[in-house]
Amino acid sequence: MTGAAGAAPPREGDFLDSGRELQRRLVEEYYRGLAEAGGPQRPVAYMLVGGNLTEIVRSFGYEVVFPEIVALNCAIKHRSLENILHAEAMGYGLDVCGYVKNDLGLQDLGGSTPFGRIPRPDLLVCSFSGCYVYVKWWEALAESYGAPMFTYDVPYLREEVPYKEDIQYMVAQLWEFVHQLEKRTGRAFDMEELKRVLRETRRAEEGWARYLRAGRLRPSPIEAYFEAIFYMFPINVLRGTAQAADFYDVVNAEVERRVREGNLPLPEEKVRVLVEGVPPYTNYRTFWDFFRKWGAVSVVATYPKVGGLFDRGFLHDPARPFESIAEYSLGAYVNQSWTLRRKLIQEYLREYSVDAVVIHGIKSCRSFTAGQGDLRDWLIHDQGVPTLYIESDHQDPRYFAPAQIKNRMDAFFESLDQRRTTKAPATEVAA
Amino acid sequence: MSALVAGMDIGSTTAKCVLLEGKEIVGKSLSPVGVDIVKDAEVALELALRDARRERSEAAFIAGTGYGRYKVYFGQLTVTEISCHARGAHFLFPGTRLVLDIGGQDTKAIRVGSSGEVIDFAMNDKCAAGTGRFLEVCANALGFDIGEIGPLSLQARHPLKVTSTCTVFAESEVTSFVSRGKEPKDILAGLHASIVSRSLSLMQRVGIEPEVTFTGGVSRNEGMVLALRRRLGAPVNVSPLSQFMGALGAALAGQARCEGAAA
Ligand code: SF4
Repeated sequence: MTGAAGAAPPREGDFLDSGRELQRRLVEEYYRGLAEAGGPQRPVAYMLVGGNLTEIVRSFGYEVVFPEIVALNCAIKHRSLENILHAEAMGYGLDVCGYVKNDLGLQDLGGSTPFGRIPRPDLLVCSFSGCYVYVKWWEALAESYGAPMFTYDVPYLREEVPYKEDIQYMVAQLWEFVHQLEKRTGRAFDMEELKRVLRETRRAEEGWARYLRAGRLRPSPIEAYFEAIFYMFPINVLRGTAQAADFYDVVNAEVERRVREGNLPLPEEKVRVLVEGVPPYTNYRTFWDFFRKWGAVSVVATYPKVGGLFDRGFLHDPARPFESIAEYSLGAYVNQSWTLRRKLIQEYLREYSVDAVVIHGIKSCRSFTAGQGDLRDWLIHDQGVPTLYIESDHQDPRYFAPAQIKNRMDAFFESLDQRRTTKAPATEVAA
Repeated sequence: MSALVAGMDIGSTTAKCVLLEGKEIVGKSLSPVGVDIVKDAEVALELALRDARRERSEAAFIAGTGYGRYKVYFGQLTVTEISCHARGAHFLFPGTRLVLDIGGQDTKAIRVGSSGEVIDFAMNDKCAAGTGRFLEVCANALGFDIGEIGPLSLQARHPLKVTSTCTVFAESEVTSFVSRGKEPKDILAGLHASIVSRSLSLMQRVGIEPEVTFTGGVSRNEGMVLALRRRLGAPVNVSPLSQFMGALGAALAGQARCEGAAA
C-alpha cells in the first residue's frame, strides 16, 4: 500500500535543494545501518506502514524494516520485475499484490537490493489495518523465516469518532504486545522511553503536516505527490527518531525559501491537481513528466497520508501513549471507510483549490484501489470535478503501457485546457 | 480568404488526412499505415493535396492526431484523437453530446459539451477486445472480408449469443459455432451485438445523452450501426466521413490555433 521513493537519484527539474539532499543521505544511512542489524544486540522487526507500532518496538531497541518501502525502492530502481518473476515461479499468481511478490521474491533471492542487503526478521509485526493481504504476506514470511509473528488487529474505521470499545480492544492488544516484547528481549518495558520516542514522533508529524499544508498556497511551493513521496521516507521509516523530526525543519525552511524566491515546482502552475492512489513506481519519472508537460502540479494527494493523516490534526500524544497509538492505527487512510475517504477528499478539494483529480489505480491491489471507480463517478457527477482514472501497477512494469497512459493524460489535460478557453462549465454530466 | 489547414490522423492501421478551408473540406485521403509511419504520413498528405488540386506550399498549418501523431514531424500541432473526435463530431452534428468511436485498436466513449469540448471520456483497456480488430479477426475466421460482414449480419434470423469479447476467445467461439453448423449471419449478428454491449458500458461510464454520434472505421459497418441504434433505442448520427472524424478534428484544432484561439 505505501511507501517513500527513497533512493532514486534526482535529475533535472527536481528540486535539488537541501531537503532532497538530506533525504538521500538519510536513505543511504538507513540502508547502510541495516547491513549490521539483526540478532539479539540489534534485533530487526518487520512492520507494515499503515497503522504501525514503530514507537513501541523502537523503545525496545528494535531496528525497523518496512518491506513495502524496500519493495518500492527496488521498483523505482527498475529492480522489481526480477523479484516478481521469481515469486511467480515460486507459485504466486498474476493477481497477487505486486508488493507481496516483489518482497517475497527478493527475500527468496537472498535479500540483496541496490542499496544493501536486507536483514532477516527477528520479529514480524502485522498491523492488520485495512488490507487483508497483510496477514497472508506476513504469514508467508513467518513460515519462510520461522520468525515469530504478532498480529495487531485494527478494526475498520466506519465513523469519524472511533468507538470507545475499539480503542479498549486495541490498547489491550498493545499491552499484550509489550509483554511479549519484554519476554523476547529480556528488557523491561520503559514507559518513559516510549514517551521520549513519541515526543520525537510528534515533532516529525508536526513538521511533515506543515510541509503538506504548504500546498494550499497558490501557486503551490510544493509538489504534494511526486515530491512528497520522496519526503515520506523519514515520516514512515524513521518516525520516532530525532533525525526524522530535524529533517522536516530543514524541508520547511526550504519551502519558505522557495516562497520567498519564487522557486516553484513548475515555472507556471496551470492546473492544481489532487492525486489519489499509489504511484506506478516502476515508471515514476515518466508518470511525473505526463503531469509536468501540462503545467499540472499536485497540490494535495491522499497517498502520502497512508502513514498517518497528520495534516488533519491527528498527532501522537506522549501524555496518552497507548490510546493515541490506537487512535493512530484506526485512522490509517486505508483503514477508513469510503464515506470517510470521500469526506477527506471533499475537504481537500476546497481547501487546496483543486481544479482536477487524477486517480491512479493499481491492478494488483484490491484494498487501496477498490472503490476508486465509484470515487471517479462521484467526483464527476456529484462534485463537478473533472477526474481521470488510469490504471497500471505500483510494482509490476508489465502493466504500465506508456503510450496509452500518456494518451489518456494528454486528452484529459487537453480537455481542461479547451474547456477553460471555451469557458465551458466545469462539468455538464447529468447527475 | 481562409487558410488551408491539414489535419492528419495517423492510426494503427490507416492514415487519414483532411484539408479544410474555412468550413469546407476541400480534400481528403485514406491510406494504409505500415512500418514506416513517417513516410505513410507524408503519403497521406500528398494524396489529400492531390485530391484538392493543391500544392504542399499552400498548406498554412498542419495538425496531427492518432497514435502516430508525433511522427507527423512536419506538423505544427499535435492533439489527442479524443478531442479531435469531439471537435469533428460537433462540426458535422452540432447537437452531439456523446461520441462513440470504434477504431482498429481502441474504442472510446466521449462526452461532449455544447461547444464541442470534451467533458469526460472512457476508453477500452489495453487490449483489442471489442474493437475493429476483433471484428476483423472474427470475419477472417468465418472466411469473409471485413466489408461483407455488416450487411450479412442484417440478414440474421436467429442471432446467437457470443459471450466473449476477448479477440482470441471469440475466434474460438466462432469456430465452435461453425462446427456446430450455425449460420454465419447469425454468428455475425451475435458478434456485432457483443461489441455493442461492450461499447455500451463505456458509454454508460461517461453518461448517455442524445445526440449520439458514431465515428471511426467500424461505424461504416451497417450491422454495427443498426445494433447500436437498437440497443440505445434512439437514433445515432453517422456520417459518410466518419472515418475522417479524427483528421477533421485535427484540422479544426489547427484552424483554431491559426485563428489565435487555443487548440
Ligand atoms: S493489496 Fe493494496 S493495500 Fe494491500 S499491500 Fe498491496 S498495495 Fe497495499
